[in-house]
Amino acid sequence: MPVTLDQNENFCVLRLEGEIDITSATELKTLLLQGLASGRELRVDLERATDLDVTAMQLLWAAEREARRSGMGMALTGRVPKEISSAAGDTGFERFPVPGNPELAADVSREVRK
Amino acid sequence: MTETIDKYKQAFQEEAREILVELEASLLELNENRGDKELVARAFRALHTIKGSGAMFGFDELAAFTHKLENAFDEVRNGRLSVTSELVDLSLAALDQIKAMLEESAGRGAANRIISAEILAKVQRLTGKPENRPAETPASAPLACPAVASGAALDWLVRFSPGPDLMRSGANPLLLLRELKQLGSLRVQASMAAIPPLRELDPERCYIAWDMVLTTAAGREAISDVFIFVADSCELTIEPACEVPVEPQRIESVPEQASSEAASPVAAESNAPEKKFPPWGRRASDTPDNASSIRVPAAKLDQFVNLVGELVTVQARLVEVAARREDPEVVAVAEEIERLTTALRENSISIRMLPIRGTFERFRRLVHDLARDLHKEVELTLEGADTELDKSVIDQLNDPLMHLIRNSMDHGIEPPEARLAAKKRSGASIHLSARHSGASVLISVADDGGGIDAGAVRERAIEKGLVAGDAQLTEAEIFALILAPGFSTARQVTDVSGRGVGMDVVRRKVDALRGTIEIASQPGRGTSVTLRLPLTLAIIDGLLVRVGQAYFVLPLASTLECIELTRRDIEQANGKHVANVRGEIIPYIRLREYFNLPIEQLEREQIMVAETEEGRYGFVVDQVLGDHQTVIKNLGRFYRHVDLVSGATILGNGTVALILDPQRLVRDALRTLAAGKRRLGKTAAARGNGRAPVASGSNAGAVVLVESAAAGGGAGP
Repeated sequence: MPVTLDQNENFCVLRLEGEIDITSATELKTLLLQGLASGRELRVDLERATDLDVTAMQLLWAAEREARRSGMGMALTGRVPKEISSAAGDTGFERFPVPGNPELAADVSREVRK
Repeated sequence: MTETIDKYKQAFQEEAREILVELEASLLELNENRGDKELVARAFRALHTIKGSGAMFGFDELAAFTHKLENAFDEVRNGRLSVTSELVDLSLAALDQIKAMLEESAGRGAANRIISAEILAKVQRLTGKPENRPAETPASAPLACPAVASGAALDWLVRFSPGPDLMRSGANPLLLLRELKQLGSLRVQASMAAIPPLRELDPERCYIAWDMVLTTAAGREAISDVFIFVADSCELTIEPACEVPVEPQRIESVPEQASSEAASPVAAESNAPEKKFPPWGRRASDTPDNASSIRVPAAKLDQFVNLVGELVTVQARLVEVAARREDPEVVAVAEEIERLTTALRENSISIRMLPIRGTFERFRRLVHDLARDLHKEVELTLEGADTELDKSVIDQLNDPLMHLIRNSMDHGIEPPEARLAAKKRSGASIHLSARHSGASVLISVADDGGGIDAGAVRERAIEKGLVAGDAQLTEAEIFALILAPGFSTARQVTDVSGRGVGMDVVRRKVDALRGTIEIASQPGRGTSVTLRLPLTLAIIDGLLVRVGQAYFVLPLASTLECIELTRRDIEQANGKHVANVRGEIIPYIRLREYFNLPIEQLEREQIMVAETEEGRYGFVVDQVLGDHQTVIKNLGRFYRHVDLVSGATILGNGTVALILDPQRLVRDALRTLAAGKRRLGKTAAARGNGRAPVASGSNAGAVVLVESAAAGGGAGP
């Protein structure tokens, strides 16, 4: 499965692996809703993802908006592959859909300015 | 920055020229097969590409002009207009005009706008409607934006909102944005306003819309082309943002943003536009196929071949040093380097090899136009157009071939009525062919016209004093006369030929290429002229020979064999310079005498037998040293008139060896002999003795051939 959700006592980890596109969009949406419903902090792990398309990015964006509004945290964990930060930059995101990793923010900004 | 743009402009000009060559071929073929839809489509595509790329690089006038012609072919494509010779001729004229515009943009010549207007008016009459889509022509393009006309980079506001089904159709907005980025510098802002709450969100629909500012020299059409495949499932607006003209300097002066700002980067606020300029050719970078070949300036290639040449010279030196040292280890290394250098040499030469097709195809147009002007029906057929030749040889071939074809068209091929009267097809044909033959390539121009009138040529030659009235000439010798400067049997000089310049040009060019010309003709059946040319001009395989202290190189391609010449052989020939090679009498030239080198009496000498236009001839040398990879060096300005040597080369030990041209040596010797013979002949005739005495020996300066030499080698190959 390219999209999985693991939970422990303190937080949920949403792990995305390989190419995340329209074919896994429905699954991603379901798991995001589950994660948000868990009431725990949601961590997103993109380390093993190779590509995020627009559908995935807008889902992450929408989930992050909700997490922020409800006061629960949603943040990245681990490094984000170069391809993905560059895709986010090229797609015109002002910031990466999911915050929390300063290293990543720098990556995205570099992509955006390039 | 300007340099970069210039580079892309130049790339466009080169590409456009290539496309025009193809287009010309398509048009001429279309003229023959008027119903061929594929040819129409090919012509349309060619025009479309020129227009699109032209507009992209600011060649707006050219783009607008091409656009109108493209419209005509669109009509043809859609069956609303049929292919007529008028359309083909008009298109060809338009093509010339596009060429002129390209040349003008490159700073050469000027395109005549009146002709452009005339052509367009005629095209319009043919299509029977005013020009389509006026918005795309520069005259009616947003005039508020002066930058459009001048071809400078312009800001465009692009808004792209995907429809509900865009993602399901398999499109990927990111790829579109990246493609757009290739056109220039792009600032993108994704608008997330339409994204609903997660629960209500359709995961397979794209809710994001994009607002972009694209700074590019490309036109509106090039921008909308990016979205061509999603045009039905999106909303797209493209507007010029005239109030913000882009100064290239501004781009340079933007300071690097401090890294602290990076924490909250905002794309729309980022005012550092892309520094890269449009990498020309999305196609070039996107399709892996194109990556398998690269475009390299010819000058770089020449430099490469020169360096390889130097390497070959140094390698020869290494081999010599190794041989002198008698150190097996060094010898082994030298041999290995020799092997590699040979491979490198062959490889570098092969890089410069190009198929002759481009040159051949160009003549379709010439034949088409000449046939129309001369009211003759002529078809050009090609054979072996994929034969490869050194680029420098190909570059030199255009003129001789053009003259040969013009000659065929004007003198060779009869008017249709005359052909019918001679029971021939009214349509004549010219066959242009190329094939390899050893280290040479044979290029022939053959027609099925009336052939050369040997009698008329002879008469004319006598009239002009080129040959004596009673000279016994073989057919080949008579045909060779037409190559003489100023020679023409045409009583009337036409626009096409008859001035007697053409064939002389052919001869001089072919000589310069160290080639030979063979002419064959049959009365009533046609004429064929075959050019035998070396494959390359840079490095040749040669035989290194020694005469006294001097070294010479004879091209291996023309040498046949090497035989021994002893004092006894010379005595047996009664002092005549002939050798008996297996029953065949081969006249020879003693290089020692020919070049006035100090006389030495040697027991044994060697004769290199070479094949020349005049037959087989021998060249006597002291010693044959072996084969030699010869890097040809020009002799320099002062020795340009010395045409007996075709260049020089530097040997391993640093000495210079002259590269001999057997062809010219023999020709020169025969000429000197003939002059001597005429002079002597007159004296002899006065004495009532018809037989000319033998001119031989070194005392006569350059006259070193004996009478029998001329007779023996008379018949050409």
